[in-house]
Order: sequence, then structure tokens, then C-alpha cells
Amino acid sequence: MSILSERVRRSLTREFSQSLMAKIGLALVVLMVTMALFAPFIAPHNPTQQGLEESNLPPAGVTQTSSDIQFVDGERQTVETTTTGTLDHPMGTDSLGRDLFSRVLFGARTSLMVGLFGTLFAVGTGVSVGLVAGYYGGRIDDGLMRFADIMLAFPALVLAIALVGLLGPLTIRIPDPFVALGLVEGMPDSFVFPVTLTIVVGVVNWVWFARIARGEALSIRQQEYVKAARSLGASDRRILRQHVLPNSLTPIIVLATIQVAAIILLESSLSFLGFSGTTLSWGFDIAQGRDYLGTSWWISSIPGLAIVLAVIGINLLGDWLRDALDPGIEGEHGGGM
Amino acid sequence: MSTYQFLIRRGLQGLLVIWGVITVVFLLRFMTPGSPVDFVAPLDASPELRAQIARNLGLDQPIYVQYAQYLGSLLQGDMGFSYIRGRPASGIIFLRLPATIELAVAATVVAIIFSIPLGVISATRRHEPADYAATGFSLVGISTPNFWLGIMLILLVSVGLGILPTSRRPIGLVPAMEMLIFQFETVGIQTWIRHMILPAITLGTYFTAMIVRLTRSGMLDQLGQPYVKAARAKGLPETLVTYKHALRNTMIPIITVLGLQLGTLIGGAVITEFVFNWPGLGTLIIDAINVRDWPIIQGALIVIGVGFVVINIVVDALYARLNPRVSLE
Repeated sequence: MSILSERVRRSLTREFSQSLMAKIGLALVVLMVTMALFAPFIAPHNPTQQGLEESNLPPAGVTQTSSDIQFVDGERQTVETTTTGTLDHPMGTDSLGRDLFSRVLFGARTSLMVGLFGTLFAVGTGVSVGLVAGYYGGRIDDGLMRFADIMLAFPALVLAIALVGLLGPLTIRIPDPFVALGLVEGMPDSFVFPVTLTIVVGVVNWVWFARIARGEALSIRQQEYVKAARSLGASDRRILRQHVLPNSLTPIIVLATIQVAAIILLESSLSFLGFSGTTLSWGFDIAQGRDYLGTSWWISSIPGLAIVLAVIGINLLGDWLRDALDPGIEGEHGGGM
Repeated sequence: MSTYQFLIRRGLQGLLVIWGVITVVFLLRFMTPGSPVDFVAPLDASPELRAQIARNLGLDQPIYVQYAQYLGSLLQGDMGFSYIRGRPASGIIFLRLPATIELAVAATVVAIIFSIPLGVISATRRHEPADYAATGFSLVGISTPNFWLGIMLILLVSVGLGILPTSRRPIGLVPAMEMLIFQFETVGIQTWIRHMILPAITLGTYFTAMIVRLTRSGMLDQLGQPYVKAARAKGLPETLVTYKHALRNTMIPIITVLGLQLGTLIGGAVITEFVFNWPGLGTLIIDAINVRDWPIIQGALIVIGVGFVVINIVVDALYARLNPRVSLE
């Protein structure tokens, strides 16, 4: 069974061909996914390789003058050095001499992985809880939704900060398949996946999916075809999976797209605070650059631009899906800072 | 249901939620690896000293006793003593609270001042350059992480142009106002404003962007309604139609979403405070998390939870007053 009906597919393509914004969104997302997937091939340097003689180099074509105080023959002199960035480090280097372009490429992996898996976790938990609550109703519904209310009664970002900061950054190392197969050399052989962070961003976001799934389940369980299925002896499990879930997919897909953007923003905030457990993240690099704003503006600026472009891309895709599918949910962007 | 009954019912629900928050915050300490003793005791502490510290902190009791003691002392307004500073946690927290409230209110004011006119212009000049500029701004605004925006503002305005301070602010609103009233001295309030501008823009931009979108789509909806046509037909000037009739009806969904987004505002404030070294609850929590100062962490989280619940009840009550079609239920 195809998830998307013929009508839905036509509506998607029509909306896409008419909307410039949808095309921009898709282009940005494709760019980000390509960066993340093929980072070891594209990156000119190992993103973790340090070199102090190459620290704080400006991006290609940018000239930076810095003054230094030196003592020559016991006399104090101000020495001006002018550095111009070269294509060897297209986006310059950070304070430890690591190549910023390579770091941006590898940082895309962290954002994308946490965004995708965090959303999947939220969808999985939220949709199961919501479907069960809406379908069975009664006590189960009351209990689950009361719990959801408590979750909503606390600012998600504060909860996430407290949980990630206190539980500690548990991470796992995922081997990089390209390096393992020997296709590239000189790149990190594994990718640090922040497990605590991913679970926490999922935990603070599942409630939205639970609410939508519950609403859909409530309305669908009254429909004739569900009653018919039940009178034919279909089990609750089968009804939920075969009838209720497919019919509530549209709003869930739209919300999930938007949530990927929200979770990427959340991930970058937590990495910025140093709570994520990985050092290859856009948010982490922005924090690193804070101490060098006066001399090396690019260290904080460039990873931030990457976040903004990625989130804009996903938000535009979300707009496109929403306009094409019109699931009747409120047209909010995945924000949440 | 009368407003009175509504408030009582929501108050009781709110108490339940607050109890939930307190319980979760209490349990958090037991889910966290490591014992608070590790952070309080000297590195070379003898087992006897460690046991003594645990006893002093009440950690040697069974968990349900600790829970009961915690609830009991909270009821008396006692959040325990800060492990690090050795002063009552409640005092430290309430000293920091005004800075956070000032920041949140300033950001909301910034957002409302800029967003509603932008949204209206965007809707009334659809597909004109002004509309594209406003929608473009709002797309970028909701896609920008606020900590990065704050850093970029520091980079451009403070480092680049050399105006507006970025350091920890020297004076709060209350002392600044006291100075103004009792000494006719405006230095305090000027300093306060100069320190407030960048953080308020940083925190307010996301909301500005969001309200622009809401205002635009709401206004477009309303401007297509028959009552707008009727108002135009009877010869009302367009300004009056736009601002008096259409905008008023657009305000209802805007207030709903603003209420829902209060959590985002508070969360955003925590990060914004961190960027600007703002002496509020946000920096307090982050610092406390880093040194596992549990009384502060728990107390601050509970204060945020309580504040959030109270604001939500107020927003709901206001909402029903603004929109008579909504019943209090």
C-alpha cells in the first residue's frame, strides 16, 4: 500500500511547480543532506586536526590585520601582521587552527542526525500515546492527556537544558562507512552521536504529536468504516494500524517536518551551552568563536549561517507540504530557538 | 461558568501541575549520575567526612522521607541552602528573578511594537515589495537561533560600531527607577536601557517574526470576510476598516499563540541571558547545573514552573474576556 494517494501526489507536484519557495527549500535541504552524507569526501581537511600556526586564519579572500605586542631587544614594539585567507581554508580556521569549512560539513551530520532521530523518537512516542488515548478514550485518555498537560506546563527548552545538563552527555561512536571501507583517508574514523541529547529533544517534543494523533483517532473511530472493520472482528491493534494511523498521517508528516527544524535549533542551543557531548556541532563552534569576536568574526558567524540556511530550508519544505496537503493544522513554523 | 469558578478550577489544576513539576524536579536528582556529596566534599575527604556531609544534607534518609521533607520545607518557602554559596536558595533565586522578568517583558514589548504594523502592512500590500520584505524577515527570524543572533548583534553593534555595552548590567530597573524618582538622576535608567536594547532584540526577534506571520495570515482571512465588505460599503475609510475591524478580530488568534509560546519565551530568555551574561534566572540555572548546586537547580525550575502556570491562567482569563465567543470551560 502506498502511503501517498494519487490525489495527494498530484497536489504535491502542482504546489511544488508553482512555488519558488518550495524549490529553494528543497535545494537547501538537498545541499545539507549532501554535505552531511559526503562530508569526508568534500572536506579539505580533517575537522578535528589542530595546528596552532594556522589558528584564526581568515576565510578565502578576506584580509585581516592584527596587531601584536612584541619585545625586540628589550623594547616594546607593536607589530602589525596582515593575513589574507587562501582557498586552502575556504572559510578560515578557528582558534585551534581547525578548518572551519570541514567543521561545517561534519557539523551538518550532527544537526541532521539529531534532527531526524529526535523527531522519529518524538513521532514514535507521541503517535503511539495519542492513538491509544484517542481510540480507547475514558480513563486511559484522561490519564495520558493529563500527563501531557504537565509536560506542556513546563518550558521545553528549560526542561531540555536541565535534563541534558544533569543526565550527562552519553554518546556513541558510529564508524564512518567511507573511512571503514578505505575510500577516504585522513578523516575521523567515527561519528560521535549524542544519545542523551537526541532522546531529550524527542522527549520534550512528543506531546505535540500525541495531541494531533489523539484528535485524529477520536474523529476516526466514529467513522463507518472503522465500525465496519470492528464488526468484521478486526482487532484493536489491526484497526489502529490499518485504518486509524494511515488516515492521520498527513498532519503528522507536516508537523514532523516542522519539528525537524525546531529540533535542529534546539540541538544547536544545547551544543552551544556545551551540553551535547560532541564537539563537531554548529552550536559548539559558535560558542568557541565567542571569545574571538574582536579579532576573528568568522568563527561564530559561519556555523550560524549554516544553521539559519538549514532551518530555512526545512521550514520552506514544511510550508510546501502544508499548503499542498492542507491538513488543517495551524501554520506554525518550527521555531523554538 | 463564572470567572470566579473558572479561576478556582484552573487554580486547582495548576496546583496539580505544580505538584507534578516539583515531583519531577525532585526525582531528577536521583536520576542523575553522581552524588551531590561529590560536589560538596573536598576531593580528599575521608569516608567519615563524606558520611557526615551526606547526613547534613539529609541524603542518608530513605527517598520517601527526603521527598516528604522536601515538600514540607517548600510549603514553608524553604528551598534549602545553596551547596556552593551557603545561603538560602530562595533568596538567591528571587534576587535574580526581576532581571529575567524585565528581559521577557521588554522582548514582548519589542515584538508587539514591530510585528503588528509589519503584519498589517504585509497583508494590506500583498505581493508588493513591502510584503516580500516582511515575509522574508519573518522567515529568517523564525529560523535564526537566538543565541547566534545575540552574538551577531554583539559583533556588529558592540564590537564593530563600538556602541551599546555587552557586559553584565550594573543596575536593575527598580534601583534605576528609585534613582530617577528620589534623586532626579537619569543616569541609572539610561544605563538600564542601554544594557537592555541588544538582549531585548535578541529575545524579541523570534516573536516579532512569528507575530508578523500570524498577523499577515489572520488579516488576509479577515479582509476577505463579508463584514469588511459591509464596512467598506458604508463608506468607512480604509484605515478604520483595517485597524478597527479586521485587526481586532485578528488579535484573537495572535493572543492564543502568544499564550502557547510563553514557554518558548522563557526558554529563549535562558539562552539570551547566557549570551549577554544577564544576571537573571537563566544564567543562575546554567551555572548551578554545571556545579550540581541542587537546591538552586530545583528551586529555580520550580519558580519557572509556577510562573508559567500562573501566566497561563492569566492569559486564559484575558482571552475569554477579549473574545466573548469563547466560554470559560
